[in-house]
Amino acid sequence: MNWDWDKLQKQQQGRPGGGKPPSFDDFQEQFDKFKGFKLPGWKLILPLIIVLWIASGFYIVEPDEVGVVKQFGEFNRITTAGPNYHIPYPVESVVTPKVTQIRRIEFGFRSTGRARSQAFQQGMSREVPEEALMLTGDENIVSVQFIVQYMIKDAKEYLFNVYDPTKTIVHAGEAAMREIIGKGKIDDALTTGKQEIQVQTRDLMQEILDSYQTGISIVAVQMQNVHPPEQVVDAFKDVASAREDKSRFINEAEAYQRDILPKARGEASRIINAAQAYKESKVRQAEGEASRFLAVLKEYNKAKDITRRRLYLEAMEGILQNPEIEKLIMSDEALKKSIPYLPLGQLPRQNAVAPKAKQ
Amino acid sequence: MKSTTIALILAVLIGAIALTQSAFTVDQTEKAIVIQLGRPVSDKALGPGLHFKLPLVQNVVYFDARILDFDAKPEEITTTDKKYMNVDSYSKWKIIDPLTFYTKVRTIQGAQARLDDIVRSQLRVALGRYTLIEVVSHKRQEIMEAVTTRSKELLLPYGIEVVDVRIKRTDLPAENARAIFGRMKAERERQAKQYRSEGREASAKIKAQADKERSIILADADKKSKIVRGEGDALATKIYADALGQSPEFYSFTRSLEAYTKGFKDNSRFILTPKSPFLQYMQ
Repeated sequence: MNWDWDKLQKQQQGRPGGGKPPSFDDFQEQFDKFKGFKLPGWKLILPLIIVLWIASGFYIVEPDEVGVVKQFGEFNRITTAGPNYHIPYPVESVVTPKVTQIRRIEFGFRSTGRARSQAFQQGMSREVPEEALMLTGDENIVSVQFIVQYMIKDAKEYLFNVYDPTKTIVHAGEAAMREIIGKGKIDDALTTGKQEIQVQTRDLMQEILDSYQTGISIVAVQMQNVHPPEQVVDAFKDVASAREDKSRFINEAEAYQRDILPKARGEASRIINAAQAYKESKVRQAEGEASRFLAVLKEYNKAKDITRRRLYLEAMEGILQNPEIEKLIMSDEALKKSIPYLPLGQLPRQNAVAPKAKQ
Repeated sequence: MKSTTIALILAVLIGAIALTQSAFTVDQTEKAIVIQLGRPVSDKALGPGLHFKLPLVQNVVYFDARILDFDAKPEEITTTDKKYMNVDSYSKWKIIDPLTFYTKVRTIQGAQARLDDIVRSQLRVALGRYTLIEVVSHKRQEIMEAVTTRSKELLLPYGIEVVDVRIKRTDLPAENARAIFGRMKAERERQAKQYRSEGREASAKIKAQADKERSIILADADKKSKIVRGEGDALATKIYADALGQSPEFYSFTRSLEAYTKGFKDNSRFILTPKSPFLQYMQ
């Protein structure tokens, strides 16, 4: 954005109502013509030329511009939007920079097919590592891509104080961002500290540019893409996945917990219910048995002797009617005479019992 | 009449030529000095506006009065902790005394050569006093201020004012960068390990806690179960005792009979004597 005066003047001459301002050469030409050819009507032409020259002093300042008027090259006045007049060339000249337009400079990357400072455009971009890579305060390296938006806040300073305002902003931006990143830690730049870094960089840039009296106001510094360098990006990604692993492990453990505890509680209630069932059945069984016993006892007490005998005989009958049981009837004498020989080996499971019912 | 007209035209012409040869303007962005036969006419530079000089014998030299850039080439510098770094700086400067400037360095190129020498050596000196991390981090401002101040002093005699010297980039040579990448990698790997082992630890704790709770729940249930079963047994015993206690003799008798019935099953041998009450009617 280097102001080329010749070009500006050409632009101006191209303005509507401007007309071609006469130069001294033109005058000489005119005079040559008067002398040489005695042009008819030169008395008409001369006033016309003067009128045109005076008319060339009119110019329009658009709403988003200011007019900066120089008199013999020296700054004279600022004019505001609307039609204005300046004394024509060569006394005064005017330039009209756009002061409300927000311009943009890219750092660390280029939007494809665009120059460094162009109107904002979405799309693909290409990293410029030598611009993007910077050292952090904890001796790490981080790649920072950012844009700076700026506007002219003082047209006079902007036009007359600095040789190359754009280059100056580029310099200040690089120096400021690196200074701020250099003060912080890599994690600030990568995660939560972005906002703070943007604000600090903007303030520092503004301070630097004001110290040069550039007449530029930094509207915003925006970090576009901040990432670890290519060489270590995998390690950084792994940290993120490790963090996810951590919470996955914990979730799995909690799932296990949520699975086994209800099962255990279910099992516990099963055990307790079984115990209660046991208790109840035991008690009922006892009650049943007891009442049966008492019922029989009641009858027994009525006819003790006969009931005893009946029960005894029924029992014996029940035992002895089993065909598997050997029955042997021997007299006492025979028993006494027989040798008490017990061939236990032959009869592995034999009981020799002589039950004698008590009378 | 005609001759006077021609004379008038001539006078106007000569006047116009004299005017273009003697009047000159200096732009708002410039300063100028008037040179007569190679020497400056006055000891003061001219600011912007309309000025006059003698035609033919005097000519005008213009100087840019704006802040100019000087972008130094990146310099390899050794810091006090024996580390190398490439320092890329820029300087902002302006011509404040065109007369001195004209006599001492004459051109912008000449001035930039001077700037290059002085800024470069000042940077070397200043940076050599600090460690790498100080340069990158918290001493940056200090270093830049020191270099700016010294360069200002040294360049003032040339009619140059150094407005600012600023460190743009501080990059590391490839092998140092590699070392840093290695360290960064190791640090991140350590962090990743830590996260994973923290996760495992927490998981193990939760599982152990859960297992413990399960054991307690089951043990509690077991205890309760035993108590309840015991209660059942006790109650049953009491019921039996209450009922059977009414006639222990009859209970013994009936229970014995029941036991015989159950006890003497297969493979038993009964030797009965005729005197057995069971056989009393067989005699």
